[in-house]
Amino acid sequence: MAYVVLKDLVKSYGSFKAVNDVSLTVNDGEFVALVGPSGCGKTTTLNLVAGLIPMTSGDIVIGDRVVNDLDPKDRDIAMVFQNYALYPQKSVYKNLAFPLQMRKLPRDEIDKKVKEAARVLDMTHLLERRPRELSGGQQQRVALGRALVRDPAVFLMDEPLSNLDAKLRVQMRSEIKRFHQDLKATIIYVTHDQLEAVTMADKMAVMNGGYLQQYDSPAQVFAHPVNMFVASFIGSPAMSLIPLQASTANGNSVLTSAEGWSFELSPRNARKVARATTRKVVLGARHSTIKLRNSAVPGAIPAKAYTVEPTGDVTFVQAFLSGAIVNVSVPPNIAVAPDEQIWLEFDQERMHLFDGETEMALKAD
Amino acid sequence: MSTTAETAPRALSRRRMRVDGWRWTGRIFLAFMLLYTAVPMIWMLITSIKSGFAALQFPPQWWPDEPTLASYEKLLDPQNSVGQDFLRFFWNSLFVSTVTTILSVIVAVPAAYAFSRFSFPGRNFLFFAVLLRNMFPAVIFLVPLFILMRLLGLMNTHGSLILTYLTFGLPLAIWLLKGFYDNIPVQLEQAARIDGATRFQAFILIVMPLSTPGIIATAIYSFIGAWNEYIYAYTFLTKNDQLTLPVGIQRFFSENTTDFPGLMAASFMMSVPVVVLFLVLQRYFVRALTEGAVKH
Repeated sequence: MAYVVLKDLVKSYGSFKAVNDVSLTVNDGEFVALVGPSGCGKTTTLNLVAGLIPMTSGDIVIGDRVVNDLDPKDRDIAMVFQNYALYPQKSVYKNLAFPLQMRKLPRDEIDKKVKEAARVLDMTHLLERRPRELSGGQQQRVALGRALVRDPAVFLMDEPLSNLDAKLRVQMRSEIKRFHQDLKATIIYVTHDQLEAVTMADKMAVMNGGYLQQYDSPAQVFAHPVNMFVASFIGSPAMSLIPLQASTANGNSVLTSAEGWSFELSPRNARKVARATTRKVVLGARHSTIKLRNSAVPGAIPAKAYTVEPTGDVTFVQAFLSGAIVNVSVPPNIAVAPDEQIWLEFDQERMHLFDGETEMALKAD
Repeated sequence: MSTTAETAPRALSRRRMRVDGWRWTGRIFLAFMLLYTAVPMIWMLITSIKSGFAALQFPPQWWPDEPTLASYEKLLDPQNSVGQDFLRFFWNSLFVSTVTTILSVIVAVPAAYAFSRFSFPGRNFLFFAVLLRNMFPAVIFLVPLFILMRLLGLMNTHGSLILTYLTFGLPLAIWLLKGFYDNIPVQLEQAARIDGATRFQAFILIVMPLSTPGIIATAIYSFIGAWNEYIYAYTFLTKNDQLTLPVGIQRFFSENTTDFPGLMAASFMMSVPVVVLFLVLQRYFVRALTEGAVKH
């Protein structure tokens, strides 16, 4: 196992920069998820680490070695592809043996390692089958086996679960997590599904438009998103972002909406707003931090329910407020009907404030 | 209520009848096509086992009174001058077609792979330039190629034919194979390269076995094209001992008496290699090797 360092990594296609000055360190044995919407550069970054495409500039270090100019085969990595990329003409056994054969291991050692990998992944009975005779989950497992049979320094995984059905995906998610814990493997895992990243990774690197937005533990990213993109991308349903105007009333700092309502800020939040570059401030609130009231209470803001989605143990209500969609979760026993007048109460302690101009999170100190 | 219940099955049966109508039209069409293609072949075979006299009789004998293999014996007998010529033509055709096939596979495989996998300046232009040749009738190139071959000193050599057939066969071979390579997911090669293969090894060990059906289809295509070609062989070759089968058969029998059973026997034997090739290798056309390799 080994650590991985990306330093000022750039990949450009003509004038388009698919990966833009990405720097991050993956510690030995760490599970890092690269997460972001399609086209954000996460798969390109992974392919650069694998050496499948040449980089434009920067450095990649895998376990004390600068691997910038090394072929994929010399980087001591293993990769699991989204479509598994099993060799269709080879049996499962031969698929698993291929990386070992390429490294010219003696035949009996290959046999031992293949059988060991098959035992670990519980697929000894599948060894003689061809990939097309396997189910999606089994193919996925063979792909995993082909990666682990070689005991590489780093595992690279490119959306390995996105071709599985929902139920199998959840199951394989915990299997991969278990696999990471048992092997203490260094894993770089690409996904567009923020839930996968949050549940599996030790650290997540949120990317957008070729830039690394935030690199931290899922809990930190969730609690302290650095900007509006990260805030809205991580968490489901998405964080509600309401554009407002900062002003003062009676010597107190308040946020006002175009609709005319306003509310007073706590001293800490007032300090944050004071740091904004302009008067435009965006209020961010997660669904669970907003209280829904059926009648007016002091400090609550009037809104209209738009859709109501009961999921069983929690009901999600969408409302319109100042032109923004606000997601609120309420216990199922609270009755709300679409188009009904409701009042929303924001939690000063748990709300996020963003600079309306730079879209960066505002800090109190 | 009751009316819907009554009309529903009738509508159903009417739909089924329409489907059946189409199916029967299709079958009749296929039967007609079969007749159209098979009858000349069968007539060729029947005529080849008649005697020279019986072949010219009218009304024709549908089945010869005295079937004989004399024509075949004559053609395959190296002692006899007819047999010597026929066997020589056969060998010439086999040589020209085989060399053409081997060369076109050797050139087309890397070319098609490059067109499929790499982006390089002028890639699209080159690809369509390759196809341009096939947009004109073959005869148009007869005179230019004739002049070219004379300049190259290749007149009256099999080399002139092999070169010419490559200009026909290669564009389509490249095009056909590129389609095959496009369908092989690039991740398979990437996986192989990560698993320890060089780019070349990934191609040889992973991509080549998967493209075998394509290569075989391409090979058969070039072989048949070269085997059947007439005009160029007729123009470029004048010496009797160099002729290929199509020209040889035509010239030989028009010079001698019109020996129909002999002509038909020669024609039949000319079609044998093609048919055998097809029957032996046809399973490669239908085998969908990549099925189940990846999930789309």
